[in-house]
Amino acid sequence: MTDYKIPDNKIPLFLPHSSVSTDLNKTGSWRYVRPLFDEKTSPCSAACPAGEDIARIEMLVSQKLIPEAWETILEENPFPAVCGRVCFHNCEGACNRGQMDDPVAIHHLERFVGDAAMSSKETPKVNALPDNGKKVAIAGSGPAGLGAAYFLARLGFGCEIFEAQSEPGGILRWGIPTYRLPRDVLAKEISRIEKLGVSIHCRTPVTRKMLETFKTQYDAVFIGCGYGRAIDLQIEGAQKAINGLQFLYNMRAQDAVPLNAKHSAAVIGGGNTAVDVARTLVRLGVEPILVYRRRRQDMPAFDPELQMALDEGVKLKALLTPIAIKDAGGDPAGHQPSYVVTLQKMKVSAAKVEGRARVVPDGDKTETLQIDHIFSTIGAEPADPWHNVPSGEHPSLSLSHCEFVNSDVPIAFGGDLTNRVKSVADAIASGKQAAIALDTYFKSGWDAVNEAVSRCQVGPGPTVSMAMYLDQERKDRNPHIVSYSEINTHYFKNAPRTIAPVLSPHDRSQSFLPVEYTLSKEAALEESRRCFNCGICNACDYCRLYCPDMSVIVENAERHINLDYCKGCGLCVTECPRNAMALKEEDI
Amino acid sequence: MRQVAEGSQAVSEAVRLAKVQVIAAYPITPQTHIVENISEFCSNGTLNARFICVESEHSALAAIIGAASGGVRTFTATSSHGLAYMHELLHWASGARLPIVMADVNRALGPGWNIWLDQTDSLSQRDTGWIQLYCEDGQDVLDTTLMAYRLAESVNLPVMVVLDAFFLSHTYEPVDVPDQEPVDKFLPPFLPRFQLDTDNPGAFNQFVAPHAYMEMRYNIQTAMEQVPENYARIAEEFEIIFGRQYNPAEAVQCEDAEIIFVTAGTTVSTCRQAVNRLRSQGEKAGLLKLKMFRPFPIDLFRQVLSGKQKVAVVDRNCSFGASGIFAQELKAALYHAESPPQIYGYIAGLGGRDVTPETIEDIYRQTQNADSPQTESIWIGLDQETVESWRN
Repeated sequence: MTDYKIPDNKIPLFLPHSSVSTDLNKTGSWRYVRPLFDEKTSPCSAACPAGEDIARIEMLVSQKLIPEAWETILEENPFPAVCGRVCFHNCEGACNRGQMDDPVAIHHLERFVGDAAMSSKETPKVNALPDNGKKVAIAGSGPAGLGAAYFLARLGFGCEIFEAQSEPGGILRWGIPTYRLPRDVLAKEISRIEKLGVSIHCRTPVTRKMLETFKTQYDAVFIGCGYGRAIDLQIEGAQKAINGLQFLYNMRAQDAVPLNAKHSAAVIGGGNTAVDVARTLVRLGVEPILVYRRRRQDMPAFDPELQMALDEGVKLKALLTPIAIKDAGGDPAGHQPSYVVTLQKMKVSAAKVEGRARVVPDGDKTETLQIDHIFSTIGAEPADPWHNVPSGEHPSLSLSHCEFVNSDVPIAFGGDLTNRVKSVADAIASGKQAAIALDTYFKSGWDAVNEAVSRCQVGPGPTVSMAMYLDQERKDRNPHIVSYSEINTHYFKNAPRTIAPVLSPHDRSQSFLPVEYTLSKEAALEESRRCFNCGICNACDYCRLYCPDMSVIVENAERHINLDYCKGCGLCVTECPRNAMALKEEDI
Repeated sequence: MRQVAEGSQAVSEAVRLAKVQVIAAYPITPQTHIVENISEFCSNGTLNARFICVESEHSALAAIIGAASGGVRTFTATSSHGLAYMHELLHWASGARLPIVMADVNRALGPGWNIWLDQTDSLSQRDTGWIQLYCEDGQDVLDTTLMAYRLAESVNLPVMVVLDAFFLSHTYEPVDVPDQEPVDKFLPPFLPRFQLDTDNPGAFNQFVAPHAYMEMRYNIQTAMEQVPENYARIAEEFEIIFGRQYNPAEAVQCEDAEIIFVTAGTTVSTCRQAVNRLRSQGEKAGLLKLKMFRPFPIDLFRQVLSGKQKVAVVDRNCSFGASGIFAQELKAALYHAESPPQIYGYIAGLGGRDVTPETIEDIYRQTQNADSPQTESIWIGLDQETVESWRN
């Protein structure tokens, strides 16, 4: 090739070039706003009654740090495997991702992490303080009592739980059917609490007299007896109806209740217990009809559960309320229905009560229902009057999830007795709040309680965080709740929400096997990557990559801004996909 | 190998043969086919290059400036508004002395929106320090792109290869696409004279005070003045290897011509035909094809046109308030020439309007019949009714 290669004539270049470092030009002096790492509160965590650090948990899952994920859950909730199955996940309703495509399947992920923790040989590490010499008696081993014991034990209290039934768990053990919560899952999570040194005395119902003894033997008492008695129907023939809660209890106690298949049953009520009873009946071969006085959209039952019930063959008759139950002459073995229920037709009136439509009788229009069994599930109340918070005698403090009474010894009431929302997660929250209140009381006195509780609120509250109480990093979070408009959605692609494998309606109606399966690890990792991680730095590094001044410095996995050179352009803050940064005006 | 190829494809093939390493571009009609082809080369492995998708032409050239500063061979392509949007960085690319090659498909600027041929987009960038080479057909555009890399890298200035919208970019005609081996002989791998180097950290193109800025600018001018000589060597070598000759300006039947057309782009081909027809009618017509516009090959023009009677410049562009841009340039170039010809400027074929052999012949007659140029540029083929209606 060189034979005809004619060299190009190159003339010298005159170009500005410097090998002197630009370090000498400290462009930080140009700045009038300064970026800072400012972790904020995710909407899910503020919506979670237990205050789980969800944005961080999903981040840890996405980074395959599963043990760190379960330890982060266990900071706030001793029951991830239980709640992953039974919690009605307010978190998902608040999820910012829902405004882009579908909310992150947080409850599936919680269940995945909870199950991984249960099947692991590792003992999860949770923060715990040394024994403080104080002892607390706890009445009731439902989610409130167990929750209180778990958090109190971690704060150094000695805890003894007194339970009327033969096994601990309360509503979790006796009220929730096994197709939603298998017994071994509950047992494993309860044993984790026992490992903290909590002792549980079963078949030991707390009486009013015992409570007086507790006041002399313990430093404090927690009362979480729940709503132990079903409210009876107040109609003619009400005694012919079976108590739905008792029915669920019997199912769990004996694993079978003799009922004739092919029989029909009316389940009166529209709450979760009604749905649980109806779905249990389907599995026993009975054909249940839910009878509810308002409309479907007014039902307090969790809609996905109701939908599953309808898919399984449960019928729904709305805008009907029973006014009389009479014998129909049939016998339990025969083919004639046993009862005739007279149902008053209802209609919606314009007025609303607590956001629900108010219904009134539609004149004297009635219909009758020929039925073999009637179940009453119209609500419950405290089993004993002293379970209620006493009024007037002693100074008391109303917190969002519990009542704290300064009696001879401090007494905290929690769970369904005090919660506006009667849910497992709210019950756990009341136990946590009571633990924080009691610990503060013993350390700093009655007057310090309110302030201590509000100091560890997640966002604007009312949810409280034990990690924040224990002065962990989480207390530095900005309480501002990240909104969807604050997410840099350019960084996220639409991706369908992961759906956990679920038994077909037919298979479900044939057995008490768990309805849903836990996500596989692959599916869980994929789902966790859908999480925006609102307000949480997940080390995505876009701040550093976009910084035109190379002023985002990462040292020992910690990020900071080199203010000698940061010009305050704000690119890092704008690019941050999840609003974990902020711009602050410089004081000039 | 001879292929039937679109003008756009001829550019893409040249980029492939030049073993360009980084391409960044933003689509715009009628340029898009060029980078579409190249992106396919990148994705199917035919070309081992990084194709950077960007959100604008400004970013396309910015990305290319970064890549070229890193010492690799680069390419981008654009048209019309895209080129206008690059304007700031056109200056930067030449000031930074980066041997970038860009294809610009000549297209009209809006408003009114128009995607067809008009040369004003590239000509309005004449002061940005880019070498500009105009192409007549598919073969010309392929060969010019290959030569552009040699030229750019020899003087450290960017080169714009210019081709007509649709008449060239979207027209299929036979093109000889050379094999890789001779191209490799003609165009060795790029050896940057400077580059960003992490082993030897430094900064380019920072602050320059008045005491040095003028010298920096004079250095660019000196490089531009070097272009004709370098181009001649490169074109000579190209001819040796590929057998095709490309001069900065090509004189066709000029020796005895009484009227010589000067034009660029596909209009040159139309003129070739018109000149032949005029010659067959006994007319002494000639043609000077303008290939290199920046730097303007003044010596060559003086050499060919001194002593001639009349020159008719066909401009498919306009500098409003002055005249056709080629005509302006030519007048300036010939001002100090010995016995310069009369220069007749004609503006024709803007916004994709056809310039046919008949249009050229009409220009010839008008030039022949005039004693001296009356106006700066005569607009050819205007709809008289419309124009008259404004005057009343």
